Amino acid sequence: MIEKIKNHTISYDESVENAINKIKKIDPKIKACISTPVVNGKDGMLKGIPFAVKDNMEVVGTRTTCASKILENYVSPYTATAVQKILDKGATLVAKTNMDEFAMGASTEYSAFFTTKNPLDPERVPGGSSGGSAAAVASGMVPFALGSDTGGSIRQPASFCGLVGYKPTYGLVSRYGLVAFASSLDQIGPITQNVRDAALIGEIIFGRDPKDSTTVEKNLSLLKEIENSIKNFKFAVPKEFVRDLNPDVKKIFEESIDRFKKMDVKIEEVSIPSLKYSVAVYYIIAPAEASSNLARYDGIRYGLSVEGKSIDEVYMKTKDEGFGREVKRRIMIGTFTLSATYYDAYFDKAQRTRAKIVDEMNKIFDSYDAIIGPTTPNVAFKIGQLSSPLEYYLQDIYTIPANLAGLPAVSLPMGKIGNMPVGLQIMCKRFEDDKMLRIARNYEKVSQR
Amino acid sequence: MKSVIGLEIHAQLLTETKAFCSCKIDVNARPNTNICPVCTGQPGALPVLNEKVVEFAIRSGLALNCKIHQRSSFDRKNYFYPDLPKGYQITQYFHPIATEGYINLDNGKKVRIRRIHIEEDAGKMIHSTENITESKESLIDFNRCGVPLIEIVTEPDMEAPLEAKEFMEKLRDILRTIDVCSGNMEEGALRCDANVSVIDDNGRSSSRVEVKNINSFRYVQYALEYEIDRISQSLKEGKDVKHETRGWDFVTRTTVSLRSKEEENDYRYFPEPDLPVLEVSNDLIEKIKNTLPELPDQKAERYVKTFGISDYNAKILSRDRLLSTYFESTISAGVDPKDGANWIVNDLLGLFNADSAEFDPKKVPVDTLKILVDYTNSSKISRLSAKEVMSEVYKSGRNPDDIIKERNLIQVSDEKSLIPVIKKVIEGNPAVVDQYRKGKTSVIGFFVGNVMKETKGKADPKVVGELVKKALDGKI
Repeated sequence: MIEKIKNHTISYDESVENAINKIKKIDPKIKACISTPVVNGKDGMLKGIPFAVKDNMEVVGTRTTCASKILENYVSPYTATAVQKILDKGATLVAKTNMDEFAMGASTEYSAFFTTKNPLDPERVPGGSSGGSAAAVASGMVPFALGSDTGGSIRQPASFCGLVGYKPTYGLVSRYGLVAFASSLDQIGPITQNVRDAALIGEIIFGRDPKDSTTVEKNLSLLKEIENSIKNFKFAVPKEFVRDLNPDVKKIFEESIDRFKKMDVKIEEVSIPSLKYSVAVYYIIAPAEASSNLARYDGIRYGLSVEGKSIDEVYMKTKDEGFGREVKRRIMIGTFTLSATYYDAYFDKAQRTRAKIVDEMNKIFDSYDAIIGPTTPNVAFKIGQLSSPLEYYLQDIYTIPANLAGLPAVSLPMGKIGNMPVGLQIMCKRFEDDKMLRIARNYEKVSQR
Repeated sequence: MKSVIGLEIHAQLLTETKAFCSCKIDVNARPNTNICPVCTGQPGALPVLNEKVVEFAIRSGLALNCKIHQRSSFDRKNYFYPDLPKGYQITQYFHPIATEGYINLDNGKKVRIRRIHIEEDAGKMIHSTENITESKESLIDFNRCGVPLIEIVTEPDMEAPLEAKEFMEKLRDILRTIDVCSGNMEEGALRCDANVSVIDDNGRSSSRVEVKNINSFRYVQYALEYEIDRISQSLKEGKDVKHETRGWDFVTRTTVSLRSKEEENDYRYFPEPDLPVLEVSNDLIEKIKNTLPELPDQKAERYVKTFGISDYNAKILSRDRLLSTYFESTISAGVDPKDGANWIVNDLLGLFNADSAEFDPKKVPVDTLKILVDYTNSSKISRLSAKEVMSEVYKSGRNPDDIIKERNLIQVSDEKSLIPVIKKVIEGNPAVVDQYRKGKTSVIGFFVGNVMKETKGKADPKVVGELVKKALDGKI
């Protein structure tokens, strides 16, 4: 994409029309899109570039469903800051993509509407929760799409679809207009074909937003920085990430380590003991925040509303019909862990453990430039293959720590098992997104050779 | 029997915009006109703290002698109600902005303030029946949603309903003086929930009962009196006092049970992830401290010291800033402070009280008050007439001189016109003259009274008294 922009080889009408036609042609098979509104941007460097956003970002006048029945007919009254920034640069929105309901899931199987197919193998999931965005890019409908990442929801589908998925440092991209799942973990980021496109979109969507108090202003010039060499860098590989790794994935990961070594990067195995608690901590904090964030869908002001004899019955019927199983499960877990009786034993303990994880990871960055590992324990699984919630939750085992610590993290193609790709994950210190993408770009250059 | 009372007060802050969005605050606006994605809880909307709210909360904390915390934070209080769009209220539960303050009552008792925290108001609901459980239709106005509040929580330091009422009045006076809250309880700008328990003579304490919906200063007293009676009676009869929340019903002047404590919500408080820790600099706190106006108690002390007026008058005149400014203007205009204080407290405020109206300096301008005081002191008109003129000015806003002229209120004090009247009265009452002659000097009052009657109150009673004596003594 970036080459086309530089060489002015994009004709606006042609590329947007192509995208629209392509969606019409292939989406009935892939099922990446929930709706296909066309929203033109202003004039700018992205003029003529079509893009898609996950259906949990508000775009004024479009439906924003979060793949949930409860918001099936909800029309956004305003536009998310990150989406607006891209529209301001000239790009044209052509699709709002499928996802797991309220971003709770790792496959799009928890969408209330349909499951998206992995374009590389229609029997497999595209990953999730930003699976629709990944599938739209992987199938060539759009050159880039926005996703959101709470526990790996950008990186895991990128890994499953052979793409670059970039979760910026928490606070770099405004969450205003991103329908909240777990506010202290959610972050918007791009899913692209290559690292340079990810850097380009990252730079556009960064910035302090007066409408999101958790954002900060940092001057990062990603595109410039990423072309520099990574000679003499030092990487850490946490034992905890490779201990029980699937042998096929392990082999590919070892090959990638060799590639880095050839670039004069020093790689050492380290131990981050608290990482073993990260899934447990995540599945306490994320549902707790979600139980509060999803309280507003009560059938009073907007969205699905089911009549009842009393106000409590309206609430119960609306939520019962409107929310899917996984969403209900997490609301119940969150309600439980926040209750007065269990707050100390669960939520408070999880917060303290989270602080310990942050601490231990930051200590690693005192001595190392990056932490690397595989993005996912395996390649994309088959639709319907994972049946128990616990097995499902373990999908996020490598991606969750970056959300808990607010770190930047990126997944890029590392290799393939058969026809299916698996991703390499790179994490850096907070606000070192430039360094992280520089590592990714260097790896991308050698792996494409 | 002894009662123990603690209060929880909500005060609406007089900021121009809401606590977490930039919607205007206007109580007169049409329903649902001052709303936005943030205060109606649209998906994806985020709160942004209004700096003015922080300033107002600090100002309140300082005026109430609190410790201001340079680091405080926000939390979510989760519960479901249609007037609460997000399904949670943003408040400060774990780390409030101010703690450990106090207000001194007139009896010398110190009522400690445990904490002051910032939070947001909910919307307003109107039901087709008395409450939401039976209502077939309910309307919601979100204009009030997100209006900033401070909640002030006292220690259980009060023992009598009158103390609680006095605390509320003093609090209102302070919040009004520092311009953070209108203090109007009837309109809900200041709300009071009271916690009360009773300890019997054997030292046995009843459960604590919370009384809500108290919407006037008088009702603070009445509701607590009722509730303490009710609890005491139960204790006497050996009945169980339930730990519950009750509501004050101002129509029946009783309290009714709303819910038992077991039915209370579990609010599932947790830190608000959308707002960073609130940090305020020492400089800001100092700056706010330096701009605090003179508070009612300080002002009263100064009035007693500088102007020599009574404690009672000083307290009344210092309570309200409009009133104290008015009082000080009359002094600048040349009125003797003691005269001014008496006129304002005894006469002027009486007019407003009779109408249950708020004091308004424009009703009887400072110039008018000065004219009336001067005329009375120089005996141009009687005290009684002056009061009558003041009342007429209050009602109609007319010029006092015109009223005096029209009603012919100028006192007659020239001997030439008074002597004939006096002579007539003396001649008409020979029996009373006899009494005087026998030494009963008190009958002078009788003659003065009759002369006043004859002159329709226009005569100067002092001059009449002197002339009556002279006439009786045969000196005229």
